[in-house]
Amino acid sequence: MQTFHTDLLCIGAGLAGERVAIEAAAAGFDVICLSLVPARRSHSSAAQGGMQAALGNCAMGEGDCPDVHFEDTVKGSDWGCDQEVARLFVDSAPVAMRQLAAWGVPWNRVVPGKSTYFKGGKLFEKEEKKDKEGLITARAFGGTAKWRTCYTSDGTGHTVLYTMDNRAVQLGVDVHDKTEVLSLIHDGENCLGAVARCLKTGALRAYLARATLIATGGFGRIYRESTNAVINDGGGLIIALDTGLVPLGNMEAVQFHPTGIVPTDILVTEGCRGDGGTLLDKDMHRFMPDYEPEKAELASRDVVSRWMTHHMRQGKGVPSPYGDHLWLDIRHLGAQHLATKLREVDEICKNFLGIDPLESPIPVRPTQHYSMGGVRTNKDGAAYGLKGLFSAGEAACWDMHGFNRLGGNSLAETVVAGMIVGAKMVEFLQGHQVSYPTNVVADAAKLQQERIQRLIARSDGSENVYMVRNAMFDALMQGAGIFRNGSDLQMCLDTLQEVHQRARQIGLRSNGLGANPELAMALRLPGMVRLALCVAYGALQRTESRGSHAREDYPERNDRDWLVRTLATWQPDSELPTLNYEPASQVWHIPPGERGYGGGKIISADSKKQ
Amino acid sequence: MARNLTFSIFRYNPQDPASTPHTDTFVLDETNHMTLFIALNRLREEQDPGLQFDFCCRAGICGACAMVVNGRPGLACHTKTKDLPDKITLMPLPFFTLVGDLSVDTGTWFRNMAKRVESWIHTEKEFNAEALEERMSNDVAEQIYELERCIECGCCVAACGSAILRPDFLGAAGLNRIARFLLDPRDQRTRREYFDVVGNDQGIFGCMGLLACEDVCPKHLPLQDQLGMLRWKMGWAGLMNLLPWKRK
Amino acid sequence: MSIDTAIYVQTPSRSSACLDWLQMLTGAGLILFMWMHMVLVASVIFGPGAMNTIAHFFESTYMAQVGGPLIGLVFLLHFVLAARKIPFRAEQQSRIWKHARMLAHRDTWLWLVQVVTAMLILIMGAIHMWVVLTDLPITAQKSAARIQGGFWMTFYLFLLPLVELHVGIGLYRIAVKWGFVGRDKRSKMKRFEYGITGIFIFIGLITLLRFYFLAV
Ligand SMILES: Cc1cc2nc3c(=O)[nH]c(=O)nc-3n(C[C@H](O)[C@H](O)[C@H](O)COP(=O)(O)OP(=O)(O)OC[C@H]3O[C@@H](n4cnc5c(N)ncnc54)[C@H](O)[C@@H]3O)c2cc1C
Ligand code: HEM
Ligand code: HEM
Ligand code: SF4
Ligand code: F3S
Ligand code: FES
Repeated sequence: MQTFHTDLLCIGAGLAGERVAIEAAAAGFDVICLSLVPARRSHSSAAQGGMQAALGNCAMGEGDCPDVHFEDTVKGSDWGCDQEVARLFVDSAPVAMRQLAAWGVPWNRVVPGKSTYFKGGKLFEKEEKKDKEGLITARAFGGTAKWRTCYTSDGTGHTVLYTMDNRAVQLGVDVHDKTEVLSLIHDGENCLGAVARCLKTGALRAYLARATLIATGGFGRIYRESTNAVINDGGGLIIALDTGLVPLGNMEAVQFHPTGIVPTDILVTEGCRGDGGTLLDKDMHRFMPDYEPEKAELASRDVVSRWMTHHMRQGKGVPSPYGDHLWLDIRHLGAQHLATKLREVDEICKNFLGIDPLESPIPVRPTQHYSMGGVRTNKDGAAYGLKGLFSAGEAACWDMHGFNRLGGNSLAETVVAGMIVGAKMVEFLQGHQVSYPTNVVADAAKLQQERIQRLIARSDGSENVYMVRNAMFDALMQGAGIFRNGSDLQMCLDTLQEVHQRARQIGLRSNGLGANPELAMALRLPGMVRLALCVAYGALQRTESRGSHAREDYPERNDRDWLVRTLATWQPDSELPTLNYEPASQVWHIPPGERGYGGGKIISADSKKQ
Repeated sequence: MARNLTFSIFRYNPQDPASTPHTDTFVLDETNHMTLFIALNRLREEQDPGLQFDFCCRAGICGACAMVVNGRPGLACHTKTKDLPDKITLMPLPFFTLVGDLSVDTGTWFRNMAKRVESWIHTEKEFNAEALEERMSNDVAEQIYELERCIECGCCVAACGSAILRPDFLGAAGLNRIARFLLDPRDQRTRREYFDVVGNDQGIFGCMGLLACEDVCPKHLPLQDQLGMLRWKMGWAGLMNLLPWKRK
Repeated sequence: MSIDTAIYVQTPSRSSACLDWLQMLTGAGLILFMWMHMVLVASVIFGPGAMNTIAHFFESTYMAQVGGPLIGLVFLLHFVLAARKIPFRAEQQSRIWKHARMLAHRDTWLWLVQVVTAMLILIMGAIHMWVVLTDLPITAQKSAARIQGGFWMTFYLFLLPLVELHVGIGLYRIAVKWGFVGRDKRSKMKRFEYGITGIFIFIGLITLLRFYFLAV
């Protein structure tokens, strides 16, 4: 088996992984990034809309500052976020954007003079200041008080990731792509690296590193319908959970995006609504103002998704062979706007739906989109439970998003967290030595080797991997969607436990040689089911509604009992995760209060004291 | 509707000693809105779990799924079966190293390309965290974005006869990358430095103007125009290099 | 080891730029020449007198005696330059043909047409030039006699479309390669290319017929 030694091992070469890698490489450390796909195909490249930073350059962002951004973020999170982290984030975000500008991101810039914009289907006028000419401009996004989302057309993730990877190439960061990590190597105290499978040859490899970062992005692919890339199956979370030591935070907090297209579930950006697009029902009636007079389409995602689902349940959805949907209308924005600011959207509509968004509205419905939960870390990005293990990006629960992340805040998080966590990892590397006991490494590798052999030999059974996966999809749809309730969740949990059993009895139907895709799926599926169990179990236990976690049987936000973060660990050989809880935040710059949208009752934290 | 589609798919697993390059045929019933993404995944799940191919974003933006569909390199995920005849032939992209069946290794080539063209901003300026960002006109930003939209799918290289004949050719994607930095006021490379990278037969002068790149690029990048501009600029730079007093 | 980290070693040759200029300029020069050549030869359509006058003009100014061999040189130079791009090795040949068949792409085929015509023109053009230039002065009568001999008629019936195809495609290619014609004008340029090729072949055929029926 091939073994690689390095100072820093980044599992994941998306924005978060590469940003950390760059920090370490700039400090002179050896870095290897691992990725399922070439770095630039990481899912960060799919982000269209933009990233939030309180630069306050554009007219509609005037007066913006980190404080306002902080307030939006905390409200957006429904007070589930770690406020210390959110603070750190909003303060550093502007620097991160400027640094990206220096590294080559072609941000859209302020063009002085009068121009028009749409809000809620109506035309308004604004005037950009002359003295801001050429500075980074911003657009509106949901749940924000100011226009704060920096963008490059609707290819923001793409340009930022390409710039990041350029920088990584410049600094000599090694990326081993088409490599899938199967497990962490650890001695119970220190993380020592990872065992990986080469997706070109199928060979196993060991990577030994003084520090390891998990930056594997979201795990949306445990759901059947997700806007995520097909590679977003939570590999990083699985390896953390499988240590039995590292907890995952808030796994029940799963975000559904209002505008996934029907039928292919491809996302059209929130920028559509930010730029003035509206949501219509089957009568072509704009319904959001009925529910949210103030913010309308631009309330936070959890709120809009819920109202959409609610509205469809009222029979206002447009029927289609793929289930009900609603319309997203951007016809009024005009050809010029679509051609410059919403190009990808334009292409997606034409290529995948065969419609012209100038002429017909776009069929959309809420679709799984983002995982607030992830590897729980402290504010330095260090994972709980193992020394030398860090996490950043969507894979992490650094926790600035709480129970709902704002559009534009996660792409920004990857870069800002990458910067901050990267610096902390450099500090760590400067003072940290480990030894790699050969038996620990050999055992970890042997474990995976045996799994592979058993799958090929069908030693454990002959369950069909795709059928088992479909069973997992069905179970989650049943109970862990947008609206949740106790009995559905219980059913979902029971089914998932059965599915988990079956997932341990998978046998391959193909020969498993080389970069065999069936083997890859078989290796990761049991872990995916465990993640699904963490989601369902956490959701069942959390008897309140907060952000994206909406319990029909517990509709109020319960600050008295649930101002906490769920921590899920998986003890070896157990059937369910072990759940623990910690306070949502150590500091309260903004005490829990009203979000200003979404409605809903709150059980106040003060009631506990009485 | 309700056609039966016949897929002829190139098969070869280099890691399997028993495997030889051949074509397998599969039949699949067509459904509404079917794309090759849906079709291939169904083939894998229902008929041959070992079938290798790559998808990632399945939304036409990551470039992972490029393959040769009925003779044309293109993105499988945004190819609708209703635009294709009953018989569909799928081949892996030529030029790139084969991983297996329809899957090729584009990552290695593109990373080498990035190193060769030094695909980053060359500047002496240190980033100053305290200062405002440097200003740039929005027009320039949009022009750069236009070229930055390349998704490194490899279609242009695989379709290019020049690349097929000389494997060290930078390809339209590489040349487009240089064009992107030439446009960027932040990059302080001199004409001469650019010339040293692309003013040769591995670079722009290796291009024979076949324009297959232009015709297959799924993102419709203005490759023809960029190649023309580069040849013109690098051509002049080459002449200037002959004049000792003009060299810089 | 499966991680491929090979980087192509670059041996930047500064001369490529100049060679590419020369290839283009010799090509363009030859096009100009072919057009002038057309004027000379096709003038026979208006009668042998017209052609003789023009031919005489060229000779009295020594353009035929000096210019002829000079064109021969340009012709050779152009060949040498273009040969850098021609796949001579059998393995390269098979690769490019396979590629073209797979791709079914018009412009790629046009390039192959250019290469194939080029090889034939090289041989036939050289023979033709030798024959004409060793038998100066040029007169309509001599030409007509040659053509009515039969062999040369067939010879020209082949050479003419070969040359015109090569010229037409070459012109189009110069235009797109050097950015003279942008993306928006490309299809127009292509139609122009087909048009000009057709017209020149047509004029050439008329000329040959005229020679054939010219009373010697
Ligand atoms: C369609 C879409 C649009 C979005 N738009 C926006 C937006 O406009 N604004 C915004 O703020 N956010 C947006 N987001 C969210 C945002 O893009 C992501 O949260 C963010 O990009 C995640 O970045 P990351 O670096 O954490 O992970 P990713 O970019 O997903 O990278 C994960 C990396 O880990 C690797 N990896 C995964 N598993 C393994 C394994 N087992 N072994 C080895 N490597 C592995 C992958 O190959 C990849 O390199 C969007 C998300 C989606 C799905
Ligand atoms: C009357 C004679 C000829 C004329 C008018 C002519 C004209 C041209 C022109 C205008 C071009 C395009 C140049 C460019 O792309 O830069 C060209 C290309 C070419 N010519 Fe000729 N040519 C002639 C004879 C020949 C001969 C004898 C050969 C060699 C055997 C030849 C081989 C080629 C080749 C291979 C190309 C393609 C080069 C490339 O694509 O890079 N030509 N020719
Ligand atoms: C300086 C060199 C040249 C001279 C003086 C010359 C002269 C002539 C003359 C006198 C004719 C009439 C027919 C004849 O006498 O046989 C002719 C015909 C022709 N020549 Fe040339 N030629 C020259 C170079 C070329 C070259 C380089 C080519 C192309 C490769 C070419 C292609 C033709 C063709 C195709 C015809 C047939 C005429 C027609 O149908 O229009 N000639 N040439
Ligand atoms: S230029 Fe076009 S075809 Fe070439 S790699 Fe980029 S996107 Fe693909
Ligand atoms: S196909 Fe190749 S030859 Fe040039 S014009 Fe495009 S790079
Ligand atoms: S899968 Fe990403 S472009 Fe096709």
